[in-house]
Amino acid sequence: MQRTSLMTATAVFGLTFAAVLPVPFNASFAQTPPKESAPGPGNATTGHDAEKSSDKFAAPSPYAPQAPGVNAANIPDGPPAEASEATPPVDQISASPAHDDWPAYGRDTNATRYSPLDQITPENVGHLTRAFVYHTGSKPAAGQINKWAAETTPIKVGDGLYTCSAVDDIIKLDPGTGKEIWRHNSGVKYESIPYTAACKGVVYYTASTVPEGQPCHNRILVGTLDMRLIEVDAADGKLCEGFGYHGQVNLMKGMGESVPGFVSITAPPPVVNGAVVVNHEVLDGQRRWAPSGVIRGYDAETGRFLWAWDVNRPDQHGEPQPGQHYSRGTPNSWATMTGDNELGLVYVPTGNSAADYYSALRSPEENKVSSAVVAIDVKTGSPRWVFQTVHKDVWDYDIGSQPTLMDFPGKDGPVPALIMPTKRGQTFVLDRRDGKPVLPVEERAAPTRTDVPDDPRAPTQPWSTGMPRLGVPDLKETDMWGMSPIDQLYCRLKYRRAKYLGEFTAPEISRPWLEYPGYNGGSDWGSMAYDAKAGVLIANWNITPMYDQLVSRKKADELGLMPVDDPNFSPSAGGAEGAGAMADTPYGIVVSPFWNEFTHMMCNKPPYGMITAIDMHTQKVLWQHPLGSARANGPWGLPTHLPLTIGTPNNGGPIITAGGLIFVAATTDNLIHAFDAKTGKELWNDVLPGGGQATPMTYEYNGRQYVAIMAGGHHFMMTPVSDELVVYALPERK
Amino acid sequence: MTGLHKPRSGTEWATVCVAVLLVLLGLPLLIMGAQLAMIGGSFYYVLFGAALIAAGALMLSGSVNGALLYLAAWALTWPWAFWEVGLDGWGLLPRLFGPTLVAVAVALTIPVLRRIGTSATSATGSVV
Repeated sequence: MQRTSLMTATAVFGLTFAAVLPVPFNASFAQTPPKESAPGPGNATTGHDAEKSSDKFAAPSPYAPQAPGVNAANIPDGPPAEASEATPPVDQISASPAHDDWPAYGRDTNATRYSPLDQITPENVGHLTRAFVYHTGSKPAAGQINKWAAETTPIKVGDGLYTCSAVDDIIKLDPGTGKEIWRHNSGVKYESIPYTAACKGVVYYTASTVPEGQPCHNRILVGTLDMRLIEVDAADGKLCEGFGYHGQVNLMKGMGESVPGFVSITAPPPVVNGAVVVNHEVLDGQRRWAPSGVIRGYDAETGRFLWAWDVNRPDQHGEPQPGQHYSRGTPNSWATMTGDNELGLVYVPTGNSAADYYSALRSPEENKVSSAVVAIDVKTGSPRWVFQTVHKDVWDYDIGSQPTLMDFPGKDGPVPALIMPTKRGQTFVLDRRDGKPVLPVEERAAPTRTDVPDDPRAPTQPWSTGMPRLGVPDLKETDMWGMSPIDQLYCRLKYRRAKYLGEFTAPEISRPWLEYPGYNGGSDWGSMAYDAKAGVLIANWNITPMYDQLVSRKKADELGLMPVDDPNFSPSAGGAEGAGAMADTPYGIVVSPFWNEFTHMMCNKPPYGMITAIDMHTQKVLWQHPLGSARANGPWGLPTHLPLTIGTPNNGGPIITAGGLIFVAATTDNLIHAFDAKTGKELWNDVLPGGGQATPMTYEYNGRQYVAIMAGGHHFMMTPVSDELVVYALPERK
Repeated sequence: MTGLHKPRSGTEWATVCVAVLLVLLGLPLLIMGAQLAMIGGSFYYVLFGAALIAAGALMLSGSVNGALLYLAAWALTWPWAFWEVGLDGWGLLPRLFGPTLVAVAVALTIPVLRRIGTSATSATGSVV
């Protein structure tokens, strides 16, 4: 079908009621920038020639020196450190938050996102007004490609509201007025922004060796996009001299060859029994031998190296010798980790080995720990247990969510448990002591048919059958959608032309394959909220299938797919945006939303986003409904201005308050919503100055409860970028 | 049928526009619908597309049967839509909304086509 005639016909049939018909879209995904469409049949041969790498440029040696700017603050490395133990810690306030505070990204060390505040209630939430707005000052400058999605959740401790800008400047605000008390400029450069300029949050740390009243007794810690740990004094924002090299640690030490923007921290690193545990994102889809996904511990007090967990060097916990580096291409973890002071563990949600969609070059060690929860002993850096959520992942089902800790009501008393949401919409509930499922998990047969030579799929995959699935049944041709029979027909054809055998349909070279759930989830980095008193778990999630295809190296070169460290890579060049080079493997990857590339409407019918309440005592759904309205989305990206709840893609988590409310923004309608926690009824919403792709938080200050949301927008969700932190409260009684 | 009817008034021009619209909408439905049917998908679209093109062609030749053909195809679309997606509102929208709007336009052409039909018969009678 010719593009023009299809457009015309669709327009004629559809336009008359496009204004009436609310259609969301602008699909949204987390890590990989998508293409408009898959190349389709005949794109590649599967013959031997096609598998030969014809990469125009030799891959840089992993031993090559790091490019200028990789060690962003030019911190001297010093000799490699042996594994050691942390300075004995003091109790941290995040373990037992004060009633008025929100001292950690997930509010507390259990990451419950539950606040005991109850001033704002279902009865009065309708009166919420803006108390203040704070501009972080971070948004794309003229001429810069928009890579912004701040994703920030501030923390509040005592008299400070602490937050970070999208590029890691650390800020202390007056919680009552939003007035800036101090600001530490972290100096992150534009080149160091990976896929997304995000800073999910800062960490509040109380020192064990510095007495109260001395500088740097209480500190704010941040991990940066350019791979530094920075600690500043919570009182005045000055660097803590006693930490690392004048307040900073260079996390690129031992990483081998890299370029700015290849490796980044976007999530707050937890402090567990005195160890700051650091993970990082490695840009997806670049090359098989990308920098390591190593997980490391540093002394929160001094910044001293403690240990490394390096998947392909499992017995070496020290830093690599000079000229050596951490093992390349290993699974990286970019989600927010959760610490467990009692068990001395950190729960690491892992992603996939580098080159997400091709698994033939992965080691058995990698295959054991990818797309899994790995519990690492914070004293030694050794894993104590591993629970894998996808075997031999070739679907980019890396875990984006932060695990939430809970006491699961068991027969012989409460079981220390962990809730692990996944992009698959399977929510696993595990015993924190040994990683064994608390609720039943079944290994079920998965499709194995593939035309990718020598890359067999796992015969089974794990299903959390004891928990409600956050997803819809396998897609059918009749689920295809559109404004009119013509664009609906186009999607039906797309559906039929793809390989689709249900969840875990294996990658294909000769034609596209349909991937549902897609890589935006199910559950993504927004994670879940848990009210331990009521036993209610709140989750917002996505229904956003993908249309993917492996392409021969030759085709990948034609498409201009190049890794970020290729000398010819240019972020503004057409194909270079595509996250599909997968250099060092025989194939590139093209990922696109399962959409009509002419109208930019999803091919599957609504809803595309949902919110669900689950009773954890019975594991039954209490209520569930579409999340997000069609007001800001429509065909060709035009807003419909309709308040109709259609259910949009969403990124950003929910919070629960003792007042009986759920606050969640996340949706592509740029609203912040308040729901009645009991019924799920929407009680209030407000239009934000940008997309609300962040998790809100709430705190009390001088007797007044506030709700804060970073309306930073999201470049890939196509929501407007802003630098505004918007804070709401009830009107003051005069 | 005696070839294309030549429009002589505003309403006749409007009727021609509706007829051309039917053909334009019918073409992608016929072509993509045939492709879909050939790879195991629904047969509805190719049939609906063929009906639209035939209806448009008949209307262009001045026959009221064209309009009636479209309305028949539209009427049959309803049970098909319910059969495919039941009472799912989102599912019914693409299947019924657009075709119904077009049905309104087509229905409005019936009096015009009737008039053309009457005059055409007398004209034909006089010529042949």
